[in-house]
Amino acid sequence: MNLDPVATLAQAILLLLLAPVLSGLIKTWKATLQNRRGPPIWQPYFDLLKFLRKDMVISEHTSWIFSVTPYVLFLTALAAGLLVPMVSARAPMSLFGGVLALVGLMALGRFFLALGGLDPASAFGGMGSSREMTISAIAEPAMMLAIFTVAITAGSTNLSQIVLASQGPGWKFLDPSRALAFTAMFIVLLAETGRIPVDNPATHLELTMIHEAMLLEYSGRYLALIEWAASIKQLVLMSLLANIFFPVGLAAETTPVAFGLGLLFFVAKLIVLAGAVVLVETTNAKLRLFRVPDLLSAAFILATLALVSTFLFT
Amino acid sequence: MEGIPMLLLTLALWGYVTGSLAGLVCWRREKLANLFSFGSAALAALCGIGASVVCLAGSATSFEIRWEFLESAVPYLKFSVRLDPLSAFFLLIVSSLGLALSIYSFGYARSFYGRKRVAVLGAFYNGLLLATTLTFVADNIWLFLIAWEIMALTAYCLVSFEHEQPETRDAGVLYFIMSHIDAGCIILGFLLLFQMSGDYGFDSLHGLGAKMSPGKRDAAFILFLLGFGIKAGIVPLHIWLPAAHPVAPSNVSAFMSGVLIKTGIYGLTRVCFDFLGTPPLWWGVTLLAIGMISAVLGVLYALMEHDLKRLLAYHSIENIGIILMGLGAALMFLHTAHPVLAALALIAGLYHTINHATFKGLLFLGAGAVLHATHTRNMEEMGGLIKRMPQTAFFFLVGAVAISALPPLNGFVSEWLTYQALLQGFGTTESLVRLVFPLSGAMLALTGALAAACFVKAFGISFLAQPRSEHAGKAKEASPSMLFGMALLAGACLLLGLFPTHFIRLMDPLTHQLTGQQLSARLSLADGLVLASLARDTGTVSTLGMVILSACLLPVPFALWLVFGRNSKTRRGPTWDCGQRALTPQMEYTATGFSKPIRMIFKALFRPRREVQREYDFSPYFATTLRFESHVEEVFERRIYRPARILIIRASRRIRAIQMGSIHAYLLYIFVTLLLLLLFAI
Amino acid sequence: MNPPTSETGSQFITLLASLMLVLQVLLAVQPMLITNIRIFALQSLLLAAIAGVVGSAYHAGHVYVVAALTLVGKVLFLPWWLERLVRQIKIEQEIRPFVNMPASMLICGALTVLAYVVARPITSLERLGSNTVAVAIALLLTGFFLMINRRKAITQVLALLTMENGVMLAAIALTTYGMPLVVEIGIFFDVVIAVMVLGILVFRIRETFASMDVSKLNELKW
Repeated sequence: MNLDPVATLAQAILLLLLAPVLSGLIKTWKATLQNRRGPPIWQPYFDLLKFLRKDMVISEHTSWIFSVTPYVLFLTALAAGLLVPMVSARAPMSLFGGVLALVGLMALGRFFLALGGLDPASAFGGMGSSREMTISAIAEPAMMLAIFTVAITAGSTNLSQIVLASQGPGWKFLDPSRALAFTAMFIVLLAETGRIPVDNPATHLELTMIHEAMLLEYSGRYLALIEWAASIKQLVLMSLLANIFFPVGLAAETTPVAFGLGLLFFVAKLIVLAGAVVLVETTNAKLRLFRVPDLLSAAFILATLALVSTFLFT
Repeated sequence: MEGIPMLLLTLALWGYVTGSLAGLVCWRREKLANLFSFGSAALAALCGIGASVVCLAGSATSFEIRWEFLESAVPYLKFSVRLDPLSAFFLLIVSSLGLALSIYSFGYARSFYGRKRVAVLGAFYNGLLLATTLTFVADNIWLFLIAWEIMALTAYCLVSFEHEQPETRDAGVLYFIMSHIDAGCIILGFLLLFQMSGDYGFDSLHGLGAKMSPGKRDAAFILFLLGFGIKAGIVPLHIWLPAAHPVAPSNVSAFMSGVLIKTGIYGLTRVCFDFLGTPPLWWGVTLLAIGMISAVLGVLYALMEHDLKRLLAYHSIENIGIILMGLGAALMFLHTAHPVLAALALIAGLYHTINHATFKGLLFLGAGAVLHATHTRNMEEMGGLIKRMPQTAFFFLVGAVAISALPPLNGFVSEWLTYQALLQGFGTTESLVRLVFPLSGAMLALTGALAAACFVKAFGISFLAQPRSEHAGKAKEASPSMLFGMALLAGACLLLGLFPTHFIRLMDPLTHQLTGQQLSARLSLADGLVLASLARDTGTVSTLGMVILSACLLPVPFALWLVFGRNSKTRRGPTWDCGQRALTPQMEYTATGFSKPIRMIFKALFRPRREVQREYDFSPYFATTLRFESHVEEVFERRIYRPARILIIRASRRIRAIQMGSIHAYLLYIFVTLLLLLLFAI
Repeated sequence: MNPPTSETGSQFITLLASLMLVLQVLLAVQPMLITNIRIFALQSLLLAAIAGVVGSAYHAGHVYVVAALTLVGKVLFLPWWLERLVRQIKIEQEIRPFVNMPASMLICGALTVLAYVVARPITSLERLGSNTVAVAIALLLTGFFLMINRRKAITQVLALLTMENGVMLAAIALTTYGMPLVVEIGIFFDVVIAVMVLGILVFRIRETFASMDVSKLNELKW
């Protein structure tokens, strides 16, 4: 068994600390691109602290589901994060599950979040839950197909194995199939993290919100946990993309230098990805809800093409 | 050791017979009838569990008993029963569900006191259990068919148990017709086999397909697929299922969804893997395709339902689809001579079979408790039940998480195995056909995500928020025996989810029997803590590990709270109501509203129609009354069954011309036939 | 046990059987209901006599039982019951058969010939008498024809009974000891019950349609 407690702890801390700053970074850059001043990139930490300190107001219609949801969401996001290779090719908990478990854990969190949205008996929460579940449902096949493309090439669903396999001879990003799969996954990433053009994370405009609508009744430390979980989920998905498709600079040895270098590369890759997200967010308008399936089916087609081009044209 | 399984099995069978009779003896004493028939069924089911576990855990492969006295009474028929691993596996399903259901029924049957005959319910219930058990263990064609028919008939009687409602009668008749068609197909299929073997025993049928001509073999496969497919509820032969399951008493719905439709799976497995020999490629592809279609369409139609039990019935179609994906993949692997992968896919399919039995049984029992408490199946009239029925709500939630294939429960494990089988299947063939594997994987993902959406709806609308009707507001928690029945199944979901490797060990003799492989050692890592897909490198998962990991991480949020939020307080307040004075249940999101995005996205399939009638005084934006109606087209009803029905009725009208109503004409028909036969004899 | 072949017994049976056939033809042309019933009683008496001869020839006890049953049931009880029925409903004559008398005679003759032709391959199986099987089949066929030809429910009952006589004759003639007793008793009670039910039905038909004509039953069709 290669369950290393130290590595697990280190990655958990990395997840907890890196996730908010990534959100802050995206927010700041977006503001800059839109000619606004924007908050400092550390703002999410202050927000979380503030939320943790605040009193909570819980709706009188809610049940225990409402109170359990933040914990489930937080724990599933964190556990999912431990399955993904970040600094080193070996994810600390990859024995406990690969990419399918990752998808499953995220789905579990989403399931409870949607229930939490329905619990306070408010129409907004129900609307948010309904849309969130719908969009995730149609995003799922595209994501699975893209994952299958890499998993079949690697012969494994284990994320460490996938990363190790793609580290093999020659950097294979230029391979058309991987480029297509990457694009598909990127679209899914936008949908899953509630980014424009699927959802607008900055809005509280009732009729267009999806993710935020489910959180309307949350406050205080529950809100802190949910926000934190959302940013961790974003980090996990981005590092999944970064390390599967750009497996460079991952620590191979267990020396501090290798880890330091790995961390550096990892952060650099995340920054590039965050830049891409920011560019997409500023150059696109939010899609009407019933146009979103078109986008996601495009992702599905891309993933299918990726699969076909890998196995039929080579 | 040799005799124990058979002894237990015999006890189980007689237990059901006793339960059936005991209920009838206490015809007027409702309480005694309830106690005796369901008590006897519970004990019999316990014996059945024992028999199957001993058979599967022991290395002995098959046991046989024959009832000479029955055979002497009815000439030509053989009544022999055999417990081989495949039978034992399905016996385990029927018995474990039977146990939980019988315990649940103690409490559930009480709602019929003074209204319906509990004795009748108990008698038919035991009869159904007996017939289903016999179907699984029958060792020759005759006994199998007899058991199959008794099963269909008792199920029909149970479906139409509350025959006062016309809806129930219609559903019963539909079920009756469909089960006759399936029996017809199966009889024809067996006739084809019998033609080759010349013997009714299953013994002579093993691997018979190798001796048959390809045409006949394909014909037999198609007949069995139709026959068993109707029973299993594959699309488009499923229409009886969402009609019949909801109207039956809830313990029977649970049995029908959990076990009865699995007789179709048993039949297909038995025939395809045991009798018909190495399959051609198209069998597997057909099963896989049918599985895909059934899974996706089943869950899509489920999403459109707001009748709680109909919703669950549609989910049965979905899960049958998932099971068939496993079986279809296994058949394809058998064709390409990859027995190990075939065994893996078979394990995936059959593991999902037992998982579906547990969580669907649980969900139907939960729905039964809700129906019992609120007197409605319409989700739009429920709501807020989690506060009035906390335990039922909890068990229903367990079932919902399991059926949505979410970790750490059992649905996730079997779908994980299915994914693994499909993924590894890609490398087994070079032909274009291999694209079907990732494609079906994607469809499986779609199915899983839609199922999650559907159960957010089912659980969220029925159990959370404010009660939407008076009945829901006054609901009472279910009785202890009902809760205990649900608790058993919830526990089974949890165990099957957390300890899959231990359970898969029980399936070793089964895969050995059908594919010659034993995989439990290759599927288990780290003392069974981790489930691996054949090797460590191809993928591992550990639901137990995830749970332990989450438990270890749980201190993190608490520590954060302790460090930063020590002084924060929690208070209760109203939900934000946009400044209106109060939030009424009418303002909640409805089940119809919840599924609207899906309805719009898949409108090519659903063809939704809606009607809005508005009455207003001065402005259309301030309506005084509003009536909204929304329909979804039942494609198969309209496009297949209705034309078929019209055709049959038209043909019947033509044929009716010979029915003149004159006795003399009828006599003349007989006489002419007789004369013709006599002349023919010369 | 090889039964003693009895020449006289054999001739006797042949005679009785052909008398049964003659009575059947008479039945076909006789319109009076009471006379019909009596002809049937006479025919049954002949059958009982045949059973008696077979019984004595083989010393088979249970064939006597059959003979006794036939005597009690078909010679005494059923004719009495049917006559009572006829008196109650006050209809004495069969009117308007579908086929007229001479034609029905011809048809009966043709059916008898057919029966002889059909029975040829199996006449060798007979133990006693000759052509009894042919007579039995002829009884069956003409009985059937009678049923089609007549309109009154009572005559149809009679026709059914004569058919049953034919079956009995075949059973006695073909098998060494007759059929197993259980089967014969079974058939016998079957017929009795059927006749009782039909008798009740006759009343019903008359009540509903004010007629005993079964042709009117087609009004029931929707």
